[in-house]
Amino acid sequence: MASVHSTPRRQSARRLVVACLAACVGVIALDSLLFRTGLYTAILEPDSSTGLFEMVLRRNLDAQEHHGNRMVATFGNSRFAWSPKVVDQRPGPHKYVLCDAGVAGSDARAWYYMIRDLDPTARRYRALVFGVDDYDDEDRFYNPSDDIRDLHYVIERLRLYDVFEFARSFDSRELQFAALRGGLLKGIVFQNDLHAFLADPRKRLEYVSLCDRFRNMWVYNFEETTNSMAGLEIDWQTLKVTFPPGLNDDQIATVNSFLAHQPEPQIGRIAAFQRTWYGRIIDRYRGSPTKIVFLRLPRGPIPRPDNLTHKLSSSIREFASRPNVILLDEHAFESLEHPELFRDGMHLNREGIRQFSYMLEDEITRVLDGAGK
Amino acid sequence: MLFNTTHFFLFLAVVLVLFYSSPRVLRRYILLFASYFFYGSWNVKFIPLLLTLTAIDYTAGMWIERTPVGPRRKGLLVMSLSANLGFLGFFKYYNFLAYNLCLLLGKPTRSFFWDIVLPLGISFHTFQSMSYVVDVYRGQQKAVRDPIDYALYICFFPQLVAGPIVRAHDFFRDLLDWHPPTGDDVSQGLLLVFFGLTKKMAFADQFAKVANDYFAHVAAYPGWHAAWSGVIAFGMQIYFDFSGYTDMAIGMAKLLGFHFPVNFRRPYLAGSITDFWRRWHISLSSWLRDYLYISLGGNRKGHWMTYRNLMITMLLGGLWHGASWNFLIWGGYHGGLLAVERAVRGDRPISDKWTWLYPLKAALTFLLVMIGWVFFRAADLTQSRHVLAQMFSKASAHGLLVPWHIGLIALALVLAVAEEKLDWFDRVAKAPALVYASAFALMFFCLELFGVIDAQIPFIYFQF
Repeated sequence: MASVHSTPRRQSARRLVVACLAACVGVIALDSLLFRTGLYTAILEPDSSTGLFEMVLRRNLDAQEHHGNRMVATFGNSRFAWSPKVVDQRPGPHKYVLCDAGVAGSDARAWYYMIRDLDPTARRYRALVFGVDDYDDEDRFYNPSDDIRDLHYVIERLRLYDVFEFARSFDSRELQFAALRGGLLKGIVFQNDLHAFLADPRKRLEYVSLCDRFRNMWVYNFEETTNSMAGLEIDWQTLKVTFPPGLNDDQIATVNSFLAHQPEPQIGRIAAFQRTWYGRIIDRYRGSPTKIVFLRLPRGPIPRPDNLTHKLSSSIREFASRPNVILLDEHAFESLEHPELFRDGMHLNREGIRQFSYMLEDEITRVLDGAGK
Repeated sequence: MLFNTTHFFLFLAVVLVLFYSSPRVLRRYILLFASYFFYGSWNVKFIPLLLTLTAIDYTAGMWIERTPVGPRRKGLLVMSLSANLGFLGFFKYYNFLAYNLCLLLGKPTRSFFWDIVLPLGISFHTFQSMSYVVDVYRGQQKAVRDPIDYALYICFFPQLVAGPIVRAHDFFRDLLDWHPPTGDDVSQGLLLVFFGLTKKMAFADQFAKVANDYFAHVAAYPGWHAAWSGVIAFGMQIYFDFSGYTDMAIGMAKLLGFHFPVNFRRPYLAGSITDFWRRWHISLSSWLRDYLYISLGGNRKGHWMTYRNLMITMLLGGLWHGASWNFLIWGGYHGGLLAVERAVRGDRPISDKWTWLYPLKAALTFLLVMIGWVFFRAADLTQSRHVLAQMFSKASAHGLLVPWHIGLIALALVLAVAEEKLDWFDRVAKAPALVYASAFALMFFCLELFGVIDAQIPFIYFQF
């Protein structure tokens, strides 16, 4: 009797197990069909985090076809603001072609995944240039490891085998789970974008087409505001700020959050983050002719004194001992640290960008030529 | 611990493992402990109330059974019902009555106000408990001897907080003669759990965003287009929310070897309001029919008494949902529609045949039900009046439902009609593994693309 009963029970258990496994495979297959084949990339909102990241990546892939091996790619967030147009219009020969691969709000983790697809052989560029806030490590109010925006930037670049490693790179359990979930089933990350597309597909397609045709031109011709922070004063003893008249809330907020803030406890999280992600980028280029260049960006309209925070480490300086890593003189861009050249507490204005673009090209040419000798 | 959370699924997995790995004799205790744990996870303070009601009705059942038919037996019934209705009335209706009394007496409206927190699921477990006592009184149910069995009947976690309201004979049939679920039960149970989850997260919660936005900013969305879309969004939300919850409850019960009755049968395909109430929240409407409408005399005392009974039943049914004039009007609105239908139809039974006229009748019923939802959802009578005025105004502005919302409604309609005609759900549950797996994959994919994942929108009926 027992076997009569147990056989159908075993069969039904087997059926359920097979069905559950097949369902998991099925949903990953459906997800992959839509989001891992490039099908959805074609209709992605151009102004979304993913859309911007992908646009920058595509622009740089296109540039590779035109400029051969003279290319130098720059990676940074919105603070690493230089203008390709200003550089191109500068008289005289340009030994290297500078390409902007920076994305506002991005960080080394996002750049790692971009670089992996931008340069699969690790030999396409003469140099990769990274703009950093400081060569010393200063922990700020945010934890860079827990910046979930990275998931949205790199989602198109994540492969199935990346997912666990990428998820583990977040510190909080909640974000690890969100990254794991989103990496496995990309539809969850693209959900809002998909809903916006479905709300008005025609409008989206028209905008995508418009951006495909003109976006690079818009970006190339974009000119930053001429607003400046002239008149800004900061008393570093009391952190009291005297603002010039007529500033808007954003300008004031950037000064308060980026410059005139109390030091945070130094617990080494920025050092750990940079060691991990710049470390991985540098490891990719071990034995490659491509140079990895770090530069310290202009620190602000009035630079924050070094003695305000007791910085415990300098992960960027540690990289200088690697064979293909170059650190530009950290004082190279200090001449730009004037309120007249900044539009807010952290970003250069039009004139600042113009001067920075020239200096950047000169510095890159100088160190690469020097490295070549 | 909402059904649509990771915590709940972990809890369910632990319960299933413990339940099936334990000796049979311990299984009731495991379910009882799990159910109290589940209830306590919301608010542990209400467990004593639940235990008190359980003790009262368990004892009442025993005493009623022992007492011969007569005034004493009736007295015991009245005492039990009074205790149940007393608790329900105090927690649910005290502030409503106090507020209206203040208005009558011309006092400040919060003069008699008490800060009372409504115990979760009180309306459901009170009705379930009352049905047991009445059934024992009527001789339709034997009094339960074992207090553990009775406690489990009242607090069984899949249906404790929002039903379905399970009748004692259904529950004890399974409990006292428990058999492990068959392969089909497990297949169907799992499918129901995830089908319900999909209904809740991918459908109800998406429509909830629209409905909540509309009813929170009614003045900002003028015109009939916005009003109808806001109301239809709520109509969709409440159906997918409640039927999704019910599917999950029935599915979980099946996994544990219990068989709950169907609570929803595609109500928006109903061809009349009478038909609607045979398809919507069936466990409540049949409860109201069996314990209220029939007790009032049903349709046995002439036309006018039938209309009166329908009206009283629906008014009380409305009030069961919540203490406000809006719920009362909603109940009255449905009572009125049922009475009119009854007057037009006479004693002929309602027809569920799909003739060429059926789609028109179903569409009209749908519109009437949507109008009723205005009272159910609006914050108060003023807002109800405003929304109704907008629904029937000539002013037009943009609607709130975007094409993919319409797509979700169309998909649901196709699935509902297919279920009505082809009974696809049962067929899928019994289909070969790959077909069964495909259904899961599609549900998961739907959840992935449309499920509201990062915001937890509570089930609507949890507040009742």
